[in-house]
Amino acid sequence: MARSLAGFLVLILAISICDAASIFQPISDSHRSAALDLFKPVDGSFASLEETYEALRTFEILGINKKPDVSTATCGTVSKALSSSSSTPKDLFDALRVNSILKCKINAEVFEGIISKLQAAVSGASSLHDFYYSIGSLGLIKDQTSKADLHLSDAEGIFRSIKALSQSDGRWRYSSNNPESSTIAAGVALETLAGVVSLASSEVDQSMIGIVQNDIMKLFDSIEKYDDGAFYFDEKVVNVHEHSGPLSTSSSVVRGLTAFTTVATGSLNLPGDKILGLAKFFLGIGIPGDSKDFFNQIDSLAFLESNRVSIPLILSLPSTVVSLTKKENLMVKVNTVLGSKAPPLTVKLVRAYSTSSKDTSIIENKELSFDPERVVYFLDALPDSVDVGSYIFVFKVVLHDSERKDVYVTGTLTHVQIFLTGHVKIGNAEIAVLDNDLGTIETQRKLDLAGENAVSLSANHLQKLHLSFQLTTPRGSAFKPHQAFLKLRHETKVEHVFLVGNSGKKFEITLDFLGLVEKLFYLSGKYDIQLTVGDAVMENSLLSEIGYVELDLPEAPEKAPRPPPQAVDPYSRYGPKAEISHIFRAPEKRPPKELSFTFLGLILLPFIGFLIGLLRLGVNLKNFPTSSVPATFAILFHVGIAAVLLLYVLFWLKLDLFTTLKTLSFLGVFLMFVGHRILSHLASASSKLKSG
Amino acid sequence: MAKFLLYITLTISLLPFLAISFSPEIPTDRRVLVLLDDFAVKSSHSLFFDSLKSRGFELEFKLADDPNIGLQRYGQYLYDALVLFCPSVERFGGSINVASIADFVDSGHDLIIAADTNASDLIREISTESGVDFDENAAAMVIDHTGYAVSNTDGDHTLIASDDLIKSDVILGSKNIEAPVLFQGIGHSVNPANSLVLQVLAASPSSYSANPQSKLSSPPSLTGSAISLVSVIQARNNARIVVAGSLSMFSNRFFRSGVQKAGSSTKYQKSGNEEFLTELSKWVFHERGHLKALNVRHHKVGESDEPSMYRISDDLDYSVEIYEWSGTSWEPYVTNDVQLQFYMMSPYVLKTLSTDKKGLYSTSFKVPDVYGVFQFKVEYQRLGYTSLSLSKQIPVRPFRHNEYERFLPAAYPYYGASFSMMVGFFIFTVVHLYSK
Repeated sequence: MARSLAGFLVLILAISICDAASIFQPISDSHRSAALDLFKPVDGSFASLEETYEALRTFEILGINKKPDVSTATCGTVSKALSSSSSTPKDLFDALRVNSILKCKINAEVFEGIISKLQAAVSGASSLHDFYYSIGSLGLIKDQTSKADLHLSDAEGIFRSIKALSQSDGRWRYSSNNPESSTIAAGVALETLAGVVSLASSEVDQSMIGIVQNDIMKLFDSIEKYDDGAFYFDEKVVNVHEHSGPLSTSSSVVRGLTAFTTVATGSLNLPGDKILGLAKFFLGIGIPGDSKDFFNQIDSLAFLESNRVSIPLILSLPSTVVSLTKKENLMVKVNTVLGSKAPPLTVKLVRAYSTSSKDTSIIENKELSFDPERVVYFLDALPDSVDVGSYIFVFKVVLHDSERKDVYVTGTLTHVQIFLTGHVKIGNAEIAVLDNDLGTIETQRKLDLAGENAVSLSANHLQKLHLSFQLTTPRGSAFKPHQAFLKLRHETKVEHVFLVGNSGKKFEITLDFLGLVEKLFYLSGKYDIQLTVGDAVMENSLLSEIGYVELDLPEAPEKAPRPPPQAVDPYSRYGPKAEISHIFRAPEKRPPKELSFTFLGLILLPFIGFLIGLLRLGVNLKNFPTSSVPATFAILFHVGIAAVLLLYVLFWLKLDLFTTLKTLSFLGVFLMFVGHRILSHLASASSKLKSG
Repeated sequence: MAKFLLYITLTISLLPFLAISFSPEIPTDRRVLVLLDDFAVKSSHSLFFDSLKSRGFELEFKLADDPNIGLQRYGQYLYDALVLFCPSVERFGGSINVASIADFVDSGHDLIIAADTNASDLIREISTESGVDFDENAAAMVIDHTGYAVSNTDGDHTLIASDDLIKSDVILGSKNIEAPVLFQGIGHSVNPANSLVLQVLAASPSSYSANPQSKLSSPPSLTGSAISLVSVIQARNNARIVVAGSLSMFSNRFFRSGVQKAGSSTKYQKSGNEEFLTELSKWVFHERGHLKALNVRHHKVGESDEPSMYRISDDLDYSVEIYEWSGTSWEPYVTNDVQLQFYMMSPYVLKTLSTDKKGLYSTSFKVPDVYGVFQFKVEYQRLGYTSLSLSKQIPVRPFRHNEYERFLPAAYPYYGASFSMMVGFFIFTVVHLYSK
């Protein structure tokens, strides 16, 4: 827990620098606008009376006039809560708290009823919260009804029974059967005790008040501290509840402390720096985003501002960056925590020293002038010896009215880091390529670093690149910037950064390429030269593209290191890819149709010749059988042949081999039969003819 | 019947759980574990948390060293996303450690890491696991002497106003973020070989990462635009990670603060942080840029049934529907760069799909004249979107014996020769047998 707390301020505040304490700004308008954002009523009222009180109280403290009007809806809830018999002391307390701000019209009889109920609750109370709510409610009724005769019957007895819950270290227990002591409870108890004292019919025994004051001192021994001067209380209970962080703990203690010191007569000698530290703690939180935290912060600050022990005054600077060139004045404001005016006082600059050398002061004991119009204290003019740089200014606040010194706490010394910035003169900028052996200048160019440059140089690995420039502060002395880089960027985006060193005013760097070839990965080609000169106090920090140098480096040996991979541009990495379409195989080359048809004609020519030849020979069918049976066989034989030929055509057109062979086998048998008959008939006929 | 009733009851009773948990159908995260160094962060960074809550996330705040924290119970993850706003934690409480966070991301859950100047080794290690490397110099901060935010209180130029944002509508929303983003913290570098990491907010060329208090003795390890201020990682399983080098950039103070970049006369009333981080959180919690593909269909032109195989040189139609999750519903995804590959060892056809603007992407092409087992592949990887990787295997066969071309004109002389021969033979038989 402690470790995480240490990180807490670092997270929320600006990072605290060196030994300079952070500057705490008092509550400003940004808090007011944030309050209106945080406390937003839904349908004219807040979720609960507690929340309503927190919102209204915050608005009241911050003086917000344009607050949302919730009075009509809330007053109804308040009177309902007050008149209801089932209301717990806490409900009554919340309702009365809201009423103290809204001032609703509540019947006097209602109060009468509550008073008796609360009186009974006080006498029967055993736990701290019972006491707190009922006594708090009674106190509120007393304020609201101006009933002077409202008293606690046995104030001292109640005082004692509350005191009985206290622990030796200043913390309190919530009830007698709960052994765990708590810091929040201490705050609650103190507030309750304050209520008891103010409600007591007679003066409470001074010795008892003294004991409680002693408890407060002991409680303050357990206060914890941040590095930046902020003090806070924290709950030491192991089981940390979310709403019992340092903020609510500290705010509870502050509420109890201020309430108690208001009623207690004796003087409480609390160290002023702890009160101031608490104020710093609350201010250091910034603007909480949680309404409860916001209320705790504002409420506690309001209590701190109005308390009787010591009112913290906050020294703040509107700006810690002061330009010497523009002759800006260093301004300091002193306000109370809520940003209201401080009593007449003087702000003294005790000393100022550079962050680098703590021992030599540049300014000592100077009083700041007051500008009543803007309510700021300002340093007229810085002495000429003060140059740009970062300094620690040590301020002291001295109140004019010495009597009020006890009332206000200002802290002893406030350390603030101030940046004095200025325009740094850049001159004599040159870039040159030198020959290695003799150092003779081969090419040299003047540069105007503030303007545009486009130098083009070329060099090989035996040469050197030399760059030099001078930096002078506005006061004429040498200036050493935090950032003086020379960057060489190769075409392949491989970058090399070199620090530019200085000797006195002159900054120079010599790049001996012979020694750098390995570092440059033997990459020849164009290198862009970029010079960056910058510092926190340099108003004209620059990033200058000087030009390029064309390097001719030797070939990389085999074992040379490879340049690291460079980032691929994400936009191109995810772009769509180039389309690919398949290239189909080219179809085989074929003769033109006309040629095929011509050849078809040529092929048919022999057939036509055959037919003509037959006609020329004078063919006849005189041998065709004349009798009917052979003639039938002859016709069938030729029909069969024609059928086989037709089958071939069909095979070509559509039939497959199996159907064709099947049909052919039938046709073959048929042809064999009829062929045998007709051929044997023809044979016998011709043998008859021969023999006959 | 009784069984049926039991199923119905079971389904109905499970519905609320199904509806709120992370699922492929509703990719937006719901339950988010936020680990803090201190509960004060809850209040100081409440604007960021409120914007998450208003979008329906259930945030659970825990201290990072709370001994009772854990990411999973009984093998089930309790959260959909993890927010590490605990830069200084040295050791997590409970069962959380680097390995369990890596497992959490490996199972598809999202992560936001915010480091800061006091970043612990643990946070650095988690970031390294995620693919970014913070500057090893523990005291280093990103400094920019020309691109700093003009401020009355931060004089050392570590408060940077950066406007080098990634140009991606899906990551940062379609609305242009005009005001620069305030940043104060440490820089990191992304590994150039890692294609899953992206710089979302980069530093300016003049920036460098060094300790502002001490003089530089050697060149800083990180300079210029190579310094990443905020990076995002989208893992291969679409888990998303945001790594920011600054916790304060999430804070109310930076959200509300005005910003003026040095050297520029424009003063913005409000920094770009709120818009930038809200949009970025929409992306990281999958409210945007989550794609799904449905109804992959392919068939021959003129047919509607999906064949089991194609023949070479077939003409085919391919279509797929792509939707984008808008945070509440699936909206048609409209773009013009979805590409289909017809792939066997290498893409034979790579074609951009045309869209009907209602989520349907289609194209048609001719199957190449190469047979083998092909794949329809849609590899859709775009900046910021979840990747789509669809593949469907389909064999392609050559022509069957009877599918080749017949009756070629070039063969007509041969046909003519055969048939004239056959007719001649017929005539010859008749003449030979019966002529006297």
